[in-house]
Amino acid sequence: MKIRFWGVRGSIPAPGPDTNRYGGNTSCVSVTSDSGGLIIIDMGTGLMHLGNTLMGREFGKGQGKASILLSHTHWDHIQGLGFFAPVFIGGNQFAVWGPGPYGSAEMLEDILEGQMDPNFSPLQTLKNFSATFEVKAAPCGAPFQAEGLTVTCREHPHGATTALAFRIEEGGKSFVYASDVGQPDEGAPPTPEAVEFYRGADVLLHDTTYFPHNQLNRRNRGFSTYEDAAAAAIAAKVKRLVTFHYDQDYTDDDVDALVSACRSWLDAHGGKEIELVPAREGEEITI
Amino acid sequence: MKVRFWGVRGSIPVPGRSTNRYGGNTSCVEVRPKNAGPIIIDAGTGLRRLGKTLMEEAFKDGKGKASILISHTHWDHVQGLPFFSPMYRAGNEIEIYARQRDMHLEAVFSAQNRAPYFPVPLSAMHADMRFREVLEGTKFEIGGAKISCTRLNHPWIAIAYRVEVDGASVVYCSDTAPFADYLLGREFVTQAPSLDEPLSPETTAELAQMRAGVINLAKNADLLIYDTQFTKEEYRQRPHWGHSHPDDAIAIAREAKVKTLCLFHHAPLRSDDENDKILAQYREVVAAQNDKFDLVSAYEGLEIPLGDQ
Repeated sequence: MKIRFWGVRGSIPAPGPDTNRYGGNTSCVSVTSDSGGLIIIDMGTGLMHLGNTLMGREFGKGQGKASILLSHTHWDHIQGLGFFAPVFIGGNQFAVWGPGPYGSAEMLEDILEGQMDPNFSPLQTLKNFSATFEVKAAPCGAPFQAEGLTVTCREHPHGATTALAFRIEEGGKSFVYASDVGQPDEGAPPTPEAVEFYRGADVLLHDTTYFPHNQLNRRNRGFSTYEDAAAAAIAAKVKRLVTFHYDQDYTDDDVDALVSACRSWLDAHGGKEIELVPAREGEEITI
Repeated sequence: MKVRFWGVRGSIPVPGRSTNRYGGNTSCVEVRPKNAGPIIIDAGTGLRRLGKTLMEEAFKDGKGKASILISHTHWDHVQGLPFFSPMYRAGNEIEIYARQRDMHLEAVFSAQNRAPYFPVPLSAMHADMRFREVLEGTKFEIGGAKISCTRLNHPWIAIAYRVEVDGASVVYCSDTAPFADYLLGREFVTQAPSLDEPLSPETTAELAQMRAGVINLAKNADLLIYDTQFTKEEYRQRPHWGHSHPDDAIAIAREAKVKTLCLFHHAPLRSDDENDKILAQYREVVAAQNDKFDLVSAYEGLEIPLGDQ
């Protein structure tokens, strides 16, 4: 399994020289299976750049196929959709698995449709996509198959709402994506259910939006600090922890400091064995 | 007054090394009269940083007053609004002007800022917010500034604004296609229309009227900011996207006798080096034709003083 980061930023894209090293695009991660199946997680602005890369492959000829896992529908996780070139090529096939409120794929489709409303987008409607674009409600609990990979999802608290976390498995290897997760009781240890979901993962990508001191005046926004992420990684005995969804105001130097503080926290709390990998736009990790 | 650029990009923000010099934020321009609060044109992602700067002034204490003129409500022109810090401070007065739509302007902005798209609803932003609907041709005043507007050739309709204050004038003309080949409105155009097919007399007349409106709005302006997302060749591929190119902007600037023309709303994938090249190329064109105006290209942080300081 290969995991590549196309957007690692939270809330709103953050262009500028001081975000060059980690990147300023919002959430988008690709997962490629050993047999070449493609899963895309979240559709932040990073999706445009993934799409432009895919156009050089079978997607440019209308012969591409991918599943998209959507954690939730806040702007920073869907804004790239209208700029994803492969959806404008007939023949390409996409299945979007996302949080269907009340389990309804129709409601999820309505939400994505609302993004394309003519007041906001020149595309006017999803129906103007040329590719097949099927919207499905991701079933929580029971695993499902996508592009030859086994996916399990779990609903996590995210401020006043929830976001889905995904566990993706292939041949005994596992990758967990848990962005935009924030325990209502901020600073409390991770819940046993969350720990169970992350258990023994080869790679846990976890929300690390904040330093703990920044979270103090940004309560209940539904994000985690690097301490929350490290505590979850230690409790679940994961092998690698990936930091992700950096605050839009953090410069590269700030993120360096966050990553280094996370390393120290892991070391001081029994997580010395855990490898720490900061997510950076354009970089790839292999499991 | 001073005109300062906070976001110069079209369509979608583009962080990355290749946009460091011109900037990757979407459209946002601040017009700052000598003795009044800012008149902001468009609320793209550039608005976030402007908001932070404003919070160092009266806005921090809830005593600030700003107006935002919106060309149209496509994402790249409104996305910064929920990240505009002064909106969250009670006491600040923020007036938002945009063209009348099918539903009330406040409903359009409420739809942008609510579950399941955004965690904070408009009603939880504590500034005193007022929405003012305008139509092309409407004239109004903000403080001592005189504002007028005219319609542009863009899907679902955008409008251009002229702001006159402190003895100077700035015209913001984004987003628009040229007024020659195709009339854009409410219809979704699935494929690039042929540029060789003759237009109906009605369409030709409507486009000509629109163009006359723009020339009139920009007449003798000290600064004309113009949508030049495309090169001429790119425009021919996508005449239905509602964006223009430097040759068209130069023709408008020449006819309206402006003093400075500013290229704006750069294509998302246009690198800094490509933008440099376009500017150099068209400076030669302007020089060769003895045009009287200066040609500049907008970048984040560019500040242009006009009139009384």
